Amino acid sequence: MKVNNRGRKKINRKTSAAIGLAILLVVTIFVGYIALNGMWLDNRGLYKLLPWMPKTNVTKETWPKPIALGLDLKGGVYVEYEATLNDELKNDSNINFDTLLTNTMDIIAKRLNEKGYTETTVTKVGDTGIRVEIPDVTDPSVVLDLIGSPAKLEFLDSDGNVFMEGSDLKTATATVDENSKPALSFSLTDKGAKLFGDMTAKSIGKTISIQLDGKELMSPKVDEAIYGGSILVTGSFTKDQVETYALQLQSGALPLDLRQDKLDTISATLGDNALTTSVNAAIIGIFLVMLLMIGRYRLAGALASWALCIYIILMFLLIAVVPGIQLTLPGIAGIILGIGMAVDANVIIFERVKEEAYLGRPMMHAVRIGFKNAMSAVLDSNITTIIAAIVLLFYGTGSVQGFATTLLLSVIASMFTAITVTRFLLSRMVTLFKDPNLYVIGMKKHAVKPAAVAGEAK
Amino acid sequence: MKVLFKNYSVPATIFALAIMLVALVMSIFGYGINYGIDFAGGLNISYNMNSTFQQSDVEDALRAQGLTDFKVSTTGTEKTTLDIRIPKLSSEEEIQKLQSALETTLLAKYPDMDTTNATATYVGPVAGATLVRNAIISVCLASVLMLGYIALRFDLFSGIAAIVTLLHDVLIMISFMVILRNVVQMNSSFIAAMLTIVGYSINNTIVVFDRIRENNRNHEYAKMKREDVVNLSVTQCLGRTVNTTLTTLFTVVCLYIMGVASIREFTLPIIIGILAGLYSSVLMSGYYWAYLEERYLNRKKKAKPGAKVQKAEA
Repeated sequence: MKVNNRGRKKINRKTSAAIGLAILLVVTIFVGYIALNGMWLDNRGLYKLLPWMPKTNVTKETWPKPIALGLDLKGGVYVEYEATLNDELKNDSNINFDTLLTNTMDIIAKRLNEKGYTETTVTKVGDTGIRVEIPDVTDPSVVLDLIGSPAKLEFLDSDGNVFMEGSDLKTATATVDENSKPALSFSLTDKGAKLFGDMTAKSIGKTISIQLDGKELMSPKVDEAIYGGSILVTGSFTKDQVETYALQLQSGALPLDLRQDKLDTISATLGDNALTTSVNAAIIGIFLVMLLMIGRYRLAGALASWALCIYIILMFLLIAVVPGIQLTLPGIAGIILGIGMAVDANVIIFERVKEEAYLGRPMMHAVRIGFKNAMSAVLDSNITTIIAAIVLLFYGTGSVQGFATTLLLSVIASMFTAITVTRFLLSRMVTLFKDPNLYVIGMKKHAVKPAAVAGEAK
Repeated sequence: MKVLFKNYSVPATIFALAIMLVALVMSIFGYGINYGIDFAGGLNISYNMNSTFQQSDVEDALRAQGLTDFKVSTTGTEKTTLDIRIPKLSSEEEIQKLQSALETTLLAKYPDMDTTNATATYVGPVAGATLVRNAIISVCLASVLMLGYIALRFDLFSGIAAIVTLLHDVLIMISFMVILRNVVQMNSSFIAAMLTIVGYSINNTIVVFDRIRENNRNHEYAKMKREDVVNLSVTQCLGRTVNTTLTTLFTVVCLYIMGVASIREFTLPIIIGILAGLYSSVLMSGYYWAYLEERYLNRKKKAKPGAKVQKAEA
């Protein structure tokens, strides 16, 4: 009885290992197929594979969202501005125009960064021009929404006279009121706060008006004097409206007046062949990495190559989904380099497994102990990289931020595949095939005599 | 296990410093980093071609004039306007000369090209001072936080040694950008290359330190000189170090061989950085830790006999 039970248990374990491997293989191929061909309805993707699936209105154009590409690979739009001093600053002799121009360029770059266009370039043209190139945009008219056309804010008293202007505004932000409805929050400069306070004190019982480009935003009745410099403008606004207003009002805070000179689409600076050769190089590189892994770690290397495929699919999905990434050619090269680095965790683990196998442990134990011993190195090395990536993400600007996002994704994805996927695969594979020679090279040469292991074991 | 390494950290450090010194001297004498148009700014030349055109034709024409660092793009919805960005030229005459040479070549193929209304304007750097300053501050801040993490998980000396190694790798990269100034220009992708190596180099060092940490806990090695523990650890890690360096190099070298100029600008510094990382993690970082640790233990031993044994047991 006892022997029989054990025998069945063994078979069960082997069967479940085989089923586990088979399921993951099917999932990998399936997801890989979708990643390569997409899910759209032109008889190429998912629907060709599964013709019985209910048809939807999803088309190739609307889904899947393609990976956003940078200026070098896809182009975008460009706009050129002519910067001039505004009326207020014209009479000021202490003004350094170049400094103001740099500040203006920084503000524009920051604004586009916040919108997720990390690969935007802002350059000085001639002495007084600013050129902005925005990737992944095809419609030039969108630029105005992105950079913002400066708006004029006016506060009018009950007689319709302007008593305060946008220059007294410190910040304007989109927010919500106490009923969770979209609202605009203004904070005023000290001068503005006093002006507004004095005016409201004078106008108790009357209505004042807040206008944006001559359009009334709000005409509240004043109940009491409001000092303190913060105003909440409520009304029937949509979320988009308040966001646009806030952006436009902030634009009013650009140090220089900008006159739009040119606005048009711009093509990629690199031809299609640049992308093709890089992808070809990537395929050859991946192939070599897999060859090396299989050569060094045999069956375990083959499993690592499988995990690598899952890593690549994961990266494709993450880059398409996570905002703030426009892939440039160096960005793609970075991901390809990441493939080489992604197998690092596997290498660390397999080296540890090898050491245990040399000590004469059965493969199942060697894998378990090998993973345990390698874990601190894998975690510590990846966590330090994650720390660096997070710092770059929060303090860096522009392309540095985009790079940090890609780096963070690739470290997390590679750690996940190395720890979870490889362990899943390897632990099942050693249940099926126990011979250490399948996983470790040089067993004959390096293996310690069983007696030595017995002596070492505590 | 046969220990394959000895402490060569002194000659290794001297050699690394010598490379940096060469780069420094070259920079002082005016042969510094060869900044590309992303950093140095350039000249924007614009033509209305009045017909669609091939970007590669323009690129060929620019190459024929001896230019290597340029960006050609098409603007406008009709795709008939040509935009060329090239490095700054020293005089108005040179611009004229280049323009007329370009026009002659392109007119042969595109007779509708408008040569009278061409514009040539100087443009500033794409990677502005703000971006660069921010990148440097971010890397410094990241280094401090990484030092903190390593000090917490390992010890302070490991943290210091790791950051010094990181600095070495980045400085070697920059030094080679100076030494190879005729081969490679520095454009904004260098920032990405530098950040890649920062992440990569710290991994290399941590794996060695992890082994040192493990061996330090082993009673058998407690009486050994710390330097010898490092020799042993580096040997034990050698398989991993070589294999990882190879897998990474495979992909990058493939890109370098097959890639276009802008890819080479990115991959060459990376290749140098990876090799510098291999060099420093095998020959330098562990031994820096051993030096600091040994000095600390000796001082402690002088102050309180028996301290070393206590520390090893802890």
